[in-house]
Amino acid sequence: MKRTPHIAVTGLHRGENPQPGSSIIRSIRRVIPDARIVGLVYDALESGIYADDGPDAVYAMPYPTAGREAFLERIDEILLKEPFEFYIPTLDSEIELIVHLEDELIERGLFTYLPDAAILAKRAKNHLTELAKSCDVNVPETVPVYDVAEAHRAASHLGFPLMVKGQYYDAKKVESPAELSGAVTKLLSEWGAPAILQRCIQGPEFNVLGIGDGEGSTFGLCSLRKTHISDKGKGLGGITIQDSKLNDICARLIKELCWRGPFEIEVMKDDATGEYALIEINPRFPAWVDFPSQFGMNFPAMLVEMISTGMRPKPFPQCEAGHFYMRHQIEVLGHLDQLSALSSDGGFTASVTDRSTVTSRPHFDLQPTFS
Amino acid sequence: MTANLPDLMLNDRGFAFDPSNGETFQLNPTGLRIVRLLQQGKNEDEALATLMEEFEVDENTARRDLESFLGSLTQLGWLENELRNLP
Repeated sequence: MKRTPHIAVTGLHRGENPQPGSSIIRSIRRVIPDARIVGLVYDALESGIYADDGPDAVYAMPYPTAGREAFLERIDEILLKEPFEFYIPTLDSEIELIVHLEDELIERGLFTYLPDAAILAKRAKNHLTELAKSCDVNVPETVPVYDVAEAHRAASHLGFPLMVKGQYYDAKKVESPAELSGAVTKLLSEWGAPAILQRCIQGPEFNVLGIGDGEGSTFGLCSLRKTHISDKGKGLGGITIQDSKLNDICARLIKELCWRGPFEIEVMKDDATGEYALIEINPRFPAWVDFPSQFGMNFPAMLVEMISTGMRPKPFPQCEAGHFYMRHQIEVLGHLDQLSALSSDGGFTASVTDRSTVTSRPHFDLQPTFS
Repeated sequence: MTANLPDLMLNDRGFAFDPSNGETFQLNPTGLRIVRLLQQGKNEDEALATLMEEFEVDENTARRDLESFLGSLTQLGWLENELRNLP
């Protein structure tokens, strides 16, 4: 009998800057309802830990900056309590670490589906220009900077406004040298060097989700236009599109990289030229991955099926244009028992705090109004 | 006939969606009728004749509104100017 898959997923926060993990869990459960999901978290306040449809067990992880030994040691501790065989990392910084550990993970019976370290580096923000040029794809002028003085020198050439990005995460549009100093200092301290300066493009943003097969093709593409964007540049809404020009750009990039694993390609369409320009390639599923899962393009479930069967899946047909999503935030109820278990024991399983024991009975007495 | 017009998704309430870029628009009944006529392969003169008949307007009024609307379609990239009068 086929064993229920046990899958570790990271990045469970769903607040202002949502991470992909909770969306991945929802997608997997749409197809494999009894999948056992292990949440690996870097913060006890990742909101998805406490969601009704959250993971079955949660374990705290050391930050990726703690290094490979700390990472593997913790994985070994968790595996003793909670065996799992699939690992879907969702944070750029941990993926940087994990791509160097494929052999060690396989020794432990853990499977990922990621590119190798060299390919991962080729799509990094500070190498994006070379990659784009080799694929004949437009890219806004991009300059990696290692300190504030260098940032000002680059800005005098690029002009304002411009985008300042952390090497793994976060981006800010700056309008003046004063704002530039603050943004570069903050991003260097939070994400390390280099910070990335990028010339601003005016126009709509488009994102493309897919899984690369490691041989230059994909198992399908889902493209959308961001229709609502937060002041941090996060997509709060989007609508699927179908544009052969955009598909061609993605195909060229994936072919050049022979990308293996999930990806999200971010492009903007320059109002001035009408041409697409490559902004980023993220080496993971996006936070909106559960949106296409709801109309049949379930990439996380495809990934799990592919790893568990070892079979090459049939690519999804072209994504139908006109599906749209809106991001919908809700409040999730956490229990002190959960928080305390994560803080003191480093983890818990759902049985620690049986969700069914939580009363939803209102705490007020109804009095007859008409008597 | 056009660049994007054949692909434009329309419903009977005049809601239009351009699948190549995700833009949405609301067309009035006249605009909806014109787009439908063009999607059926009618040229500008044929569309004009249909508008005059169906909306009971004189040629000058119909031509002015049609020209103005076709200009908007051209700006949006749905219609190629040089092909406007070809079936």
